[in-house]
Amino acid sequence: MPSLLHIQRPRRQRWATLTLLALVATGRAADWQMSLDTRLVTSDAGRSFMDGGLGTSRFDRNDSGVQLGRARLALSAPLGELWSVHLDASVWDDKDRSPLGVTEAYLQFRPYPRAGYRLRVKAGAFYPPISLENRAAGWESPYTLSYSAINTWLGVEVRTIGLEAQLDWLGTRTGHDFDLGLTAGAFGWNEGAGVVLAGNGFMLHDRQTPVFGRVGPPGAGVLPFQQFDGRTGVYAGVEGRYLDRVVLRVLRYDNRADPTKMDTVSGAIAWDTRFNSAGLRVESGTGWTAILQWLDGETSIAPPGLQLAWPFRAQFALLSKRFGRQTLSARYDRFEVDSNVDGGSQRGHAWTAAWLFDADAHWRLALEWLRVRSSSYDRADTGGPPLATETQLQLAVRYAFGSGL
Amino acid sequence: MRPPTRARRHSCAARRAAGALVLLLAALGRAGPVLAATLVIHVQTPDGHALSGAVVTVRPLEGQGKRPAPVHAVMDQVNRAFAPDLLVVPVGSTVAFPNSDSVSHQIYSFSAAKRFQLPLYHGKPYPPVQFDQTGVITLGCNIHDEMLAYLLVTDAPYFGRTDAQGAWSADVVRGRYQVTIWHPRLRDSQADLERELTVGDADRAELTLHLLKSLQPAPIADRPHSWDY
Repeated sequence: MPSLLHIQRPRRQRWATLTLLALVATGRAADWQMSLDTRLVTSDAGRSFMDGGLGTSRFDRNDSGVQLGRARLALSAPLGELWSVHLDASVWDDKDRSPLGVTEAYLQFRPYPRAGYRLRVKAGAFYPPISLENRAAGWESPYTLSYSAINTWLGVEVRTIGLEAQLDWLGTRTGHDFDLGLTAGAFGWNEGAGVVLAGNGFMLHDRQTPVFGRVGPPGAGVLPFQQFDGRTGVYAGVEGRYLDRVVLRVLRYDNRADPTKMDTVSGAIAWDTRFNSAGLRVESGTGWTAILQWLDGETSIAPPGLQLAWPFRAQFALLSKRFGRQTLSARYDRFEVDSNVDGGSQRGHAWTAAWLFDADAHWRLALEWLRVRSSSYDRADTGGPPLATETQLQLAVRYAFGSGL
Repeated sequence: MRPPTRARRHSCAARRAAGALVLLLAALGRAGPVLAATLVIHVQTPDGHALSGAVVTVRPLEGQGKRPAPVHAVMDQVNRAFAPDLLVVPVGSTVAFPNSDSVSHQIYSFSAAKRFQLPLYHGKPYPPVQFDQTGVITLGCNIHDEMLAYLLVTDAPYFGRTDAQGAWSADVVRGRYQVTIWHPRLRDSQADLERELTVGDADRAELTLHLLKSLQPAPIADRPHSWDY
């Protein structure tokens, strides 16, 4: 694995530098934003996944104290009239391959809507349209610090590195109550999607894996974004909207990986992952938001002589109320990973409660309590009791500045 | 136009007498059709509440009526929203779309009454857009999907929007009229909200229009712009 990393790294850095230079060269037309999010943490959780442990939260019992939540730089710039380029880079201060990682970088083609239809095409690395929770800048949640189990997993292992087209019928612009959208994506570098779910199970945190980044410590970590089976993954989804109040999304994802393929250099196996997801978000004019998301799928590998599968499913319900500049939210998560492998399964639920205060356009204060109760046979494997209740309390202060603020 | 021309040929005394007669007739409430009366339109929701901001257009059923003079209007973009988010202008008017935000906007309309685009801009680099066809024009920004505004282009001699009490009034020439109501969040069909009305002898004519269906809910106001919606 290390040899592969060292070959790829300089080329990737050069590419990132060129992108940055191109963005800077576009000059005043670019919109940019920077933010620094620091945390005061207390946690009794088991060893964090970034340290190679099976803890379900981001920070473990050794992380209590002051931590970096995220330092972020985002740029977007028009390229002519209908194209634009977007870049989101972050520092998470943990054991990833590079201290600065790019979570999203893409080109977008946005022709003008015609006759009530709108087309959008994206090319690059970005999130597929699944989460109804991660709607704020930087794919963050405006409700809680830690994302739901479903969206945490998407942030860790799922990214479209490829193309996506979205066609919307803009009913609300033509006198109707509804809009309808169709999305289809094709992507590569997805053979690792599923490896963290099978190894760690579901978690609840806000640590997004940078594109081509590593999950876990050097030597023991895994690489979700790899390409060696020559197959293209696909997804297709439908979105319906009622005015600006209700969003319903359904999406089918299949990375079409060949589970018998193995990377001869890194020794990594291709994880064949497919899932269905559905989500509903309802907002009222009085500040209430309710979000439901559902995920059901399976990941499998088939090294010579073996056929290993991990079916997984998760759901959450979030209820939030905005009072002026304050937001109070509560979420209940349920998740499960089964396995036909001894000791590969996980089952659990979590409660999250958060208070967010947007003092002004720059400062945000947040307090979050997270309790995860889960049983994991992998935990028993490493000598601990399978059942664990982990609690994490975070106080976050974020300062953001930029051209749009 | 003719009577005054003829009147010029009459003697001064006769003119004075005719003037006195007109005044007398007016005082008796029997003035000719050219004189004005006040038309008041009330618009109410199905549950009887006053509807403010509804657009009222009043067209004469007989003859052309005077065409409203074109105007030069401004629809600004402030804080990622159109300001105002609804304009009613006479046909032939021009509207300027300056952008007072620090971010770029890209205004478009795909409405039949006027299709146009203003590519990415700050400030006011484009000349005002002229609107030569009547109808409702829906405006959006191709970068900020949540931005939405309407332009209603009309050839009606009388038009305006209802006030906080749900009322609109104008001094109109006596005659028969068609009254139409429009609102961006209207669910009723346009035909259900058209009325005919005669402004006759009285100084004041009133009409109350009730929507049949409740309006669409208003867009959520305090949602941060940075959220995907």
